[in-house]
Amino acid sequence: MRVFVLGLVLLAGANAADIQLRTLTAQMKYNESEFQVKPGERINLTFENGDDLPHNFVLCRPGTDVLALSLRQMDKPEEALKNNWLPKDPSVLAHSKMLNPHERQSFSFTMPDKPGTYPFVCTFPGHAMTMNGKFQCFPQGPQLSELRFKLYLGSWKKLPDFSKLAVHREGAIADNLIDLKFDDYKNEYAVVFEGKLKVERKGSFRFFLAGDDGVRLLIDGKKLIEHDGIHPSGSIREGALQLEAGEHAFRLEYFQAAGEAEVFAAWKGSQFAITPLSRFLPKGWEFGATSKRREFDPIVLEPKVGPVLYRNFIADAGNRAIGLGLPGGINLAWSAESMDLALLWRGAFMDAGRHWNSRGGGHQPPLGYDVIKPLGAPPQASEQRRYLGYRLDAQGNPTLRWAWGEAEVAETYQAQEGGLLRRLQIKGALPKDAALELLRGVSAQAKGPDLFVVSSKPVGWQLRCVGARLSGGALQLPLHEGEQTILYQWNP
Amino acid sequence: MSMPRFFTLSARWLMPMLVSSAMAATEADYYPITTFTTPPGTALEVGSVELLPDDRLALGTRRGEIWIVKGAHATDPAAIGYQLFASGLHEVLGLAYKDGALYATTRYEITKITDSDGDGRGDVFDCFSAPWGVSGDYHEYSFGSSFDRNGDLWTVHCLTGSFGSAVPFRGWALRHRADGSVVPTCSGIRSPGGIGFDLQGECYYTDNQGPWHGSSTLQHLVPGSFQGHPAGNVWYDRAPNMGPRPLDPIPEAYQNGRPRNEANPAGDPDRMVLERRRIKQLLPPVVYMVHGKIGNSSSAVICDVSQGKFGPFAGQMFIADQSHSNLSRVCIETINGIRQGAVIPFRSGFKSGPIGGRMDARGHLFLGGSDRGWGARGGQPFSFERVQWSGKLPFEIHEMRAKAKGFELSFTQPLDAASLASVNSSCIRAFTYAYREQYGGDEIDEVKPSLSEVSLSEDGKTLRFSVQPLTQGHIHELHLDGLRNTKGEPLLHSVAYYTLNEIPR
Repeated sequence: MRVFVLGLVLLAGANAADIQLRTLTAQMKYNESEFQVKPGERINLTFENGDDLPHNFVLCRPGTDVLALSLRQMDKPEEALKNNWLPKDPSVLAHSKMLNPHERQSFSFTMPDKPGTYPFVCTFPGHAMTMNGKFQCFPQGPQLSELRFKLYLGSWKKLPDFSKLAVHREGAIADNLIDLKFDDYKNEYAVVFEGKLKVERKGSFRFFLAGDDGVRLLIDGKKLIEHDGIHPSGSIREGALQLEAGEHAFRLEYFQAAGEAEVFAAWKGSQFAITPLSRFLPKGWEFGATSKRREFDPIVLEPKVGPVLYRNFIADAGNRAIGLGLPGGINLAWSAESMDLALLWRGAFMDAGRHWNSRGGGHQPPLGYDVIKPLGAPPQASEQRRYLGYRLDAQGNPTLRWAWGEAEVAETYQAQEGGLLRRLQIKGALPKDAALELLRGVSAQAKGPDLFVVSSKPVGWQLRCVGARLSGGALQLPLHEGEQTILYQWNP
Repeated sequence: MSMPRFFTLSARWLMPMLVSSAMAATEADYYPITTFTTPPGTALEVGSVELLPDDRLALGTRRGEIWIVKGAHATDPAAIGYQLFASGLHEVLGLAYKDGALYATTRYEITKITDSDGDGRGDVFDCFSAPWGVSGDYHEYSFGSSFDRNGDLWTVHCLTGSFGSAVPFRGWALRHRADGSVVPTCSGIRSPGGIGFDLQGECYYTDNQGPWHGSSTLQHLVPGSFQGHPAGNVWYDRAPNMGPRPLDPIPEAYQNGRPRNEANPAGDPDRMVLERRRIKQLLPPVVYMVHGKIGNSSSAVICDVSQGKFGPFAGQMFIADQSHSNLSRVCIETINGIRQGAVIPFRSGFKSGPIGGRMDARGHLFLGGSDRGWGARGGQPFSFERVQWSGKLPFEIHEMRAKAKGFELSFTQPLDAASLASVNSSCIRAFTYAYREQYGGDEIDEVKPSLSEVSLSEDGKTLRFSVQPLTQGHIHELHLDGLRNTKGEPLLHSVAYYTLNEIPR
């Protein structure tokens, strides 16, 4: 990749690019919606249909209305069917076959010399609306010039005020690519990179930035993007601004606490593709900012006036989960397979985007934080306990009902003392030695007659329950007729 | 009923056909669609529709909500009012009403919901029946019926993906009795899109193009039958009432490098008509919803219960298509003990991809859906709509019926005898689909029969002709573009596809 980036200016147009494109299972989408290619570049495309429906790939000339192109086939559906839903249209530049589910095809074509945005689409009827994307066919843009670094030593959790620090070492960077090659320092340092960017023509430019740890980008002395604090470089942030023709001051501030040290910067203009300004290239850098590459648009479920129920596939809560979000940011997922409390967490309740933007498959994890899994693994269906249903009170709080032997258990949840109070009301005869498992696979310590502390990382929590018994790695609550309560609390 | 008398046509001296110069009639002239506004703050992705007392409706949605609708019958669409009855359910693709309770078929159970305090919101959610498995795969949709005449609910359960059955009763139809017992009823289901009853109370569901299905289909849920996709047959040991597991169909007939589209001179064994002889429980589709022509993704099964208030098609079935955003019409007959019939285009132009639908006794056909996951021609992400008959009589094929040596068609209006000259061998072709594991499939084994002995009943409304040969197991595609009524108008829909499972003896 390095060779490729360095050689761009010389080799533009002479390279061949290998591109993998896949259709996503059950989402009516390609796995990528944008590719960066070069004018005149030879493209070796491997197209794989991972979906259960037929799909193709049709690349068109810039400006083609691909939706209309697909829809026009409906004017003569019989003819279009005969042509396997490939539009007979001069705007089509290259195309795959109509791939059956789980088929794959590799083929090559050459991008035209003309820079531009070349749309692609699946022309199978009804697919074009969501199955489309772009080949951004632009040459690379200019690199930095006169790039210099200043190295500072120190231990920080946030970017320091560089004006108050003494430079430990400084120098020029011959190849003008931002890099963290300071052999002598692996941890606890900061760097300021400064250089010049040449703008040929006035216009709008986008900058991209990622770092492990904190990074800040300034153009002409003004902060454009900042991702401060200690974190991995996983997400690429972006910022945009107008720049006049001429030279502009580029300044990147970075600090490293410990562990991985990475920094990525790039820019993009209307006449050139995303052009890296750093040596390090995170995965997927060609596609720009991470936030724009979300799998699904979020649909946040928020308990406002009362509790919110979400019966769906919740990760680690089994396939018959009942999610319950309480106002105030205490949430749980209960399994109607095992009649267990599978998860509890704080903060936001659930993002229904995975289930409500597409076909509805897959398990969605909680949206909030401090997730507790009292029983470790996802719940297994119980042979003995039988789910009966739930009733809602006037505020919408559910009482979950289930049967065990001759007994009926009514279970309620309520936010209390910074945690969650679980209340069991039991009527009728339970099986002999019926005990509810409260903890499994997590190590707990008895800190009092009724207090059990789980010192797990990253979330420590405790459980108060009269009558619970710790034995081995499990905490059991022998059940009896009447009321029993369990209070789950996060460590303060 | 007395048989109509026929006279044989001698076309030689008939007048050349007149081309109607009047404005062509459109579907909207006869069956206008009313598009309702939907409640704010949600996506009303209608997956099921149930009729309630007092002219109210219940709508179940893919987002797991149930809405009670008032005013959907009013002439003014602005009269519609919605009230949220329940939310948080796992995808409501079936709704049934009985004795004040709604029974919602969701991904993993039938939930009986009642409003115990009468505030208009459901507050008791009982698990009524949940005998089928669910694994988290998107494909595992479950569709539920309204109550049948015995008070039973029918559910159909999609496979895990297109090829497998990971958990119990994926790929089955089940019946749920009022006492909570469950009767495994049919195997062989692939990917249902809807379920409903005909006027006689027989249950049907739609299945979608994919493995073992060259095309989407309308299928008859005869208890004990195997509906064609063998993946779910691993659960026969849990269904002793169903008898022994059926023989497996042949997954791939073409071998030794012969391409799929190249005919085998000796004939291929992977055909429904042949496998029916070998696999005794195998029931062929009632009608192939011809892929790419009638639709791509069959969904709601709606019976015309209006006794004429919805126009001339009382008792016929309307089948929706999510992808094509349309309704097609199916007329069904029983030949040699097997259901079969014809599908005819009916109405296109719905705003989204229809999934749930019902007709009430007054001839209001309610239809709603969403385009989520597959896309739909309608263009809107979701919709709720009503279709009514305008009162004008469309010129349509009324029914297409198989005869021992040809077909008989009835029409809603008398034909212009002069236009019968257009009915000839060029109007008909026959084809079938392979019955094999392959995903979807082409129209194959094409036959171009000769069509002759065209005759018309005295009232001009019944057409008969001979077809030589009739091919059992083939879809007989008939185009009647040249037919005219006595006003010189063409048919509103001039094509019919008849699935000839059986030739009348």
